[in-house]
Amino acid sequence: MIPSQPHLDRRHFLRGTGLALSLPWLETFAGDLAANAEAPRRLACFYMPDGVPMPLEHDPAHDDWSWFPLGEGRDFRFTKCMEPLESLREEVTVLSGLSHPAARSVHGHSNADQFLTGAPIGGGGTYQNTVSLDQVFASHVDEQTRLSSLVMSTDGGIGTPRGAQTMSFSSTGRAIPAEHQPKRIFDMLFVKQSDDAAKRLQLNRSALDELLEDARQLNRTLSQRDQTALQDYMQSVRDTEVSVQKAQRWLDIPLPSVDADHLQLDITPEDPDVYLRTMFDLIYLAFKTDSTRTATYQLGRENGVGVSDYLARAIGFNLTHQLSHQTKEPGGWRNFGMYCQFLNGHLARFAKRLKSTAEIGGQGNMLDNTVVLFGSASSGFHLSRNYPLILAGGRNMGFRHGRFLKFAASMDGQSFIWQKNGREPWQREMTHEEVPLSNLYLTMLQRLGVPAEEFGGSTQTLDEV
Amino acid sequence: MHLDGHLGSPTYTWPCGSVSHLPPELNVNQFVSVGMVVVTAFSLGRCLPVAGEDSASTGELARGSAPTLQQVREAGAAKSSFRDRQRPTRLATEPKPELDQFKRDIAPALSESCLDCHGPDVQEGSFRVDALDPDLIHGDDVAWWLEVSRVLTNGEMPPVDAEPISDEKRAAIINWLASEIQTASAARRVNGNHSSFRRMTRYEYNYALQDLLGLPYDFAGDLPPETASEDGFTNCSEVLPISASQVVTYNRIARTAIRKATVRGDQPAPLHWFVSMDAAAERVRHLTEEDQRRRVQRLENQPEALAKELERQRQQAQKRPAGTHYLNRRSGEHVRSMWRYSGARYAWGPTDGPTRSLEESQHVAVLPAGQRLIVELGDSLPDRGLMRVIVRAAGPRSSDRTMANLRLGFGHQASNNSSAEETVSRDDVAIEGAVREYRWDVPLSEVTRNPMRGVTKLGETPNPSEYLKLHNTSAMPADLTIESVEVIAPAYQDWPPESHQRLLLDLQNPVNERSAARQILTQFMRRAWRGFASDRDVQRKVAMFETIRPHCNDFQEAVTEVLANVISSAPFLYLTRNDQDDLELASRLSMFLWCSIPDEELLDLATEQRLHKPDVLTRQVHRMLLDERSKRLPEHFTRGWLGLQLLDYLKVDKDAYPKFNAELQASMRVEPIEFFGEMVRTNASVIDFLHADYAMLNESLARHYGIGDVQGNHFRRVALPNNSIRGGLLTQSGLLAMNSDGKDSHPLKRGIWLLSNLLNDPPPPPPPAVPEIDLADPKIAQMTLKERMEDHRNDPACMSCHSKIDPWGIAMENFDAVGRWRDEIGDQPVDASSRLFNRTQLRGMDGLKRFLLNERQDQFVRAMVHKMATYALGRPLSFQDHAAIDAITAEVRKRGDGLADLIELIVVNDLFHAAAISPAGTSLEPPKP
Repeated sequence: MIPSQPHLDRRHFLRGTGLALSLPWLETFAGDLAANAEAPRRLACFYMPDGVPMPLEHDPAHDDWSWFPLGEGRDFRFTKCMEPLESLREEVTVLSGLSHPAARSVHGHSNADQFLTGAPIGGGGTYQNTVSLDQVFASHVDEQTRLSSLVMSTDGGIGTPRGAQTMSFSSTGRAIPAEHQPKRIFDMLFVKQSDDAAKRLQLNRSALDELLEDARQLNRTLSQRDQTALQDYMQSVRDTEVSVQKAQRWLDIPLPSVDADHLQLDITPEDPDVYLRTMFDLIYLAFKTDSTRTATYQLGRENGVGVSDYLARAIGFNLTHQLSHQTKEPGGWRNFGMYCQFLNGHLARFAKRLKSTAEIGGQGNMLDNTVVLFGSASSGFHLSRNYPLILAGGRNMGFRHGRFLKFAASMDGQSFIWQKNGREPWQREMTHEEVPLSNLYLTMLQRLGVPAEEFGGSTQTLDEV
Repeated sequence: MHLDGHLGSPTYTWPCGSVSHLPPELNVNQFVSVGMVVVTAFSLGRCLPVAGEDSASTGELARGSAPTLQQVREAGAAKSSFRDRQRPTRLATEPKPELDQFKRDIAPALSESCLDCHGPDVQEGSFRVDALDPDLIHGDDVAWWLEVSRVLTNGEMPPVDAEPISDEKRAAIINWLASEIQTASAARRVNGNHSSFRRMTRYEYNYALQDLLGLPYDFAGDLPPETASEDGFTNCSEVLPISASQVVTYNRIARTAIRKATVRGDQPAPLHWFVSMDAAAERVRHLTEEDQRRRVQRLENQPEALAKELERQRQQAQKRPAGTHYLNRRSGEHVRSMWRYSGARYAWGPTDGPTRSLEESQHVAVLPAGQRLIVELGDSLPDRGLMRVIVRAAGPRSSDRTMANLRLGFGHQASNNSSAEETVSRDDVAIEGAVREYRWDVPLSEVTRNPMRGVTKLGETPNPSEYLKLHNTSAMPADLTIESVEVIAPAYQDWPPESHQRLLLDLQNPVNERSAARQILTQFMRRAWRGFASDRDVQRKVAMFETIRPHCNDFQEAVTEVLANVISSAPFLYLTRNDQDDLELASRLSMFLWCSIPDEELLDLATEQRLHKPDVLTRQVHRMLLDERSKRLPEHFTRGWLGLQLLDYLKVDKDAYPKFNAELQASMRVEPIEFFGEMVRTNASVIDFLHADYAMLNESLARHYGIGDVQGNHFRRVALPNNSIRGGLLTQSGLLAMNSDGKDSHPLKRGIWLLSNLLNDPPPPPPPAVPEIDLADPKIAQMTLKERMEDHRNDPACMSCHSKIDPWGIAMENFDAVGRWRDEIGDQPVDASSRLFNRTQLRGMDGLKRFLLNERQDQFVRAMVHKMATYALGRPLSFQDHAAIDAITAEVRKRGDGLADLIELIVVNDLFHAAAISPAGTSLEPPKP
């Protein structure tokens, strides 16, 4: 919340110190802040492609390698897939029975695009997406941080319609390109950029001055009642000017300096374990320095296309997507489950780092002020129902954990033997009701402090979390 | 049939109004069960219920010996109370209320007929007639008086079970009220309460940019959606808010638009693709053989499967393919067409120069109806500029009386489940007869592109390749044959292109930048600000240019930045100033007829102060209605007037209507717009909206209606047979379908729609706590729909509203949820007869039309004028506009109800010229109790 503290002339202050602060510079203000500022609220969302193992109950692999825990409510047991989260048991909730209604009968590989949006993008033809969860929150945070959001993916860019390589979509539903090179992300966060931004701001300021002057001239020709209408316009221009000024201010504030020695910034997904760790670390650092409060990271593109398909090599497999097709081969469920365990390991490490870092201002730890969402748009084979979801953190916003919550009578997506040209689960009619995932998203937004009443078509919340 | 509304899931809300002013409850049950029969008597265009006679010969004018609809229409027109109305003269002296006549005739008549229910003892609907102030000019009860006038004119009061009022007395009250309303309305034109001052709507902004820049692109896609006012129009001054993010979006759009209109550097060399069907057939043959060989190799060690595969391949080779195939015209051989995205094996590469083959190709691609041909172009199409597509194609022989339809699609498939595609041809092209060349220009910056271009290599996954899709959309069996497909991109007619020259003139790298900037800005601001840019305004923008020039790389960057500023600014975005001069008139006129800024001719006339002259103005209206841009009027007016957005959300039940498809739904959306457009073109009588002996149809709709011999997907005027059940708006399938629930008809929605949209007489909203229809009750479950509605109506809480709404909808019951005619519902015959509030019987659609033609012409024409004026002014109308609307209606009726006349009469009326502000006073909405 620092930038909005009127009594702190940070610019003056920072110039005065003349230091490149080796500590996150926020801590310098901690004493001042604690008195009247709430801790920042943050959101991190992660996407894993290709669904999760869901062997049938009588399958020998069921108890060990089902992605979803056994049991229900507080009385549940993690399988080996979730083992890394065991020590975080009281910090996480696993959810089942949630999905986006519009995606339920569309092939799962088309649906990463709508994981955070809930848009009815369909399976082909013209394409229109809508705003993603993270971007709604990002525009709420606005200019309070240097970057409104951090958008990352292993494959980078935007991908293709129905084959997104980004989780984030703008207010008009346009894909926001994701960064995939750690070095670039680091530079964006912590290294001075070119002067382009300064020039753009200068042009924007001139343009806004002109808009106001044009409006003033027009105003003279109007009756009193119409002047009132034009006031709305002029106020909107002034509001825009304020955010330009805020952006301008960020240009003058020195970038936080962080210790990058432990980061391997030239790493690529060819070395998946280190790559994933670096990507998670960058989010951690961005949060810790309050450079942004919103981050999305798509671990992989759907359908085994692209460099993210190599992530499974970290644990000795060849291609990630194949694991989901070979579940009926000997050890198939186990192999797929091992991969999930590997991903959960990275999630757990990230959550633990947040948990072990005290929140600036002394209000608990960073995890308590960060909502972490981890999941996929398919559960069983190509099936966009019963999304596998893990929710972590955010205790200070009211999230309660240590539970496995089931929102549908049964779990769709269980076991399926893939046959070429066969009818697939996603082509079957649904046999039970599921709850719209956007209900959860609306709850998340509200608890993050966004005065939202609707998201992705949902106006209801999910108070169980 | 389905019943909802507030009877289950409220899917729509009724427009304004309150329940209390409704006519007192009719005991519907009573009159239905008694089965009393009603004859209508006519006087001043009103109908009065008269008891007696036998039902067979009454109610609707009976069939058989009955007059034709045309005769009814003529008779109805003769009854108009508007035709002999005097043009209201301007008020010379202080207007006075006519109170003497009120005391002498009107008050006693009202007391006699109304006081029992609306007097000191009983106040049905919380309404007391003797408490109304008879001074309409100064008093506060105008809205109530309008209501009194309405219920008397429509014959809704006194109710059927009360003592009828004599024709003379009814006429006396109505006439006195008409005159007082007229005087009061004119007298109150002083201070406004509704202003036309507003920003442009999304679509106006889009058209304005298109016309200004000369680029037919969609610029406004990023602007937030807009909601319609109660009148249904989005261009209403009261529903056009603005926000900071919108200001930012306007800025961004402006910069992008100017960038799209301008170019830099030398003309890029065009790439050429020429795909002959000889080459295409050869490619497919080769790749198919390759695939087959591979399959055979894979089965080498499985003799049984191998034999099966070989047999399958042999059979396939012999069968004439049902889908798209290549035909060797000499040998008669055919090759099944084939396309797969992976590996880009079917992609054609470009060449630097034209490679068009002059030899006639041996092969043609044959696309049976509904089939497609994909022509993959690889990943080298440029980012921007036009892609010119030239297809040599032929259709069925003209003597076959069928034709193929060609639609052009553009898309890509990057991986298994990731693809996107859109239609890039505006309309389908009808193709018949011998080979001809067909050409499309597709702006590459405006269509969905493959984001992998330049990211992955051609043939990798995700694949960066893009393709054209030729689609024969004919609904009838009709083969489309294609000889070749040629693509040139980027195709520029001139360099720099016209849009660039239009903005930057020929001033590329001027020596005197300041004077060049002034020149560019002067001409641009004149058009963008619709003539309102003063020298000082231009001067300021030149100053802005000088301020930012040092921050920019070159002249063009700086000057285009200023151009973008001009079209992000209030004088461009906001409409309707207070000035009553010719420039303002030009603006209003072009916004009304073109949804856009004035052209040079209008601006010139306005600058010379000649536009307001009646003959000049009339000529301009005629010119503008002939212009291509006037097609926007039917589209946007009709959408708001008829509430066509309901069609966007229409979801038809696939099980109930297996033949319903997207093609038909799209045609349904266009039909009312085309109908309106045709009526403007021919200056047809607006009464044609109620019934016409022609329709605007394409093949898809004609088949839906069972009307033969309409080929091709373009719309054209079709004369309807004498006994046709179609004609006018009421029988258009889209309007019937959008007022259904996707599965069955919905009489309630249809009734409300007819009252609100066509007659401008919206029923009040449902009261807060109405009982729902209890379908669990076995007695109710057994009822037919009509019985159920009647049962519901008998509930006192529901009766007063439903007796006003239901009969209109029930009369349309012969039309199912997709607007097809039906004689039976399930195995029950359709019962489409109903009785209006005054017991007039409507027998089906024919009866409904007869009633409207006979009784409600004045009401309909006035409603039409009201709606059109609301749209033209961009604000809600109020009581002060009443006199003007009446006057325009009278003129329209006298001139024969022509739709183009109606538009012209609105434009020449003072209402359109007056200050942006409408006079203050009472709203036209009925009062709250």
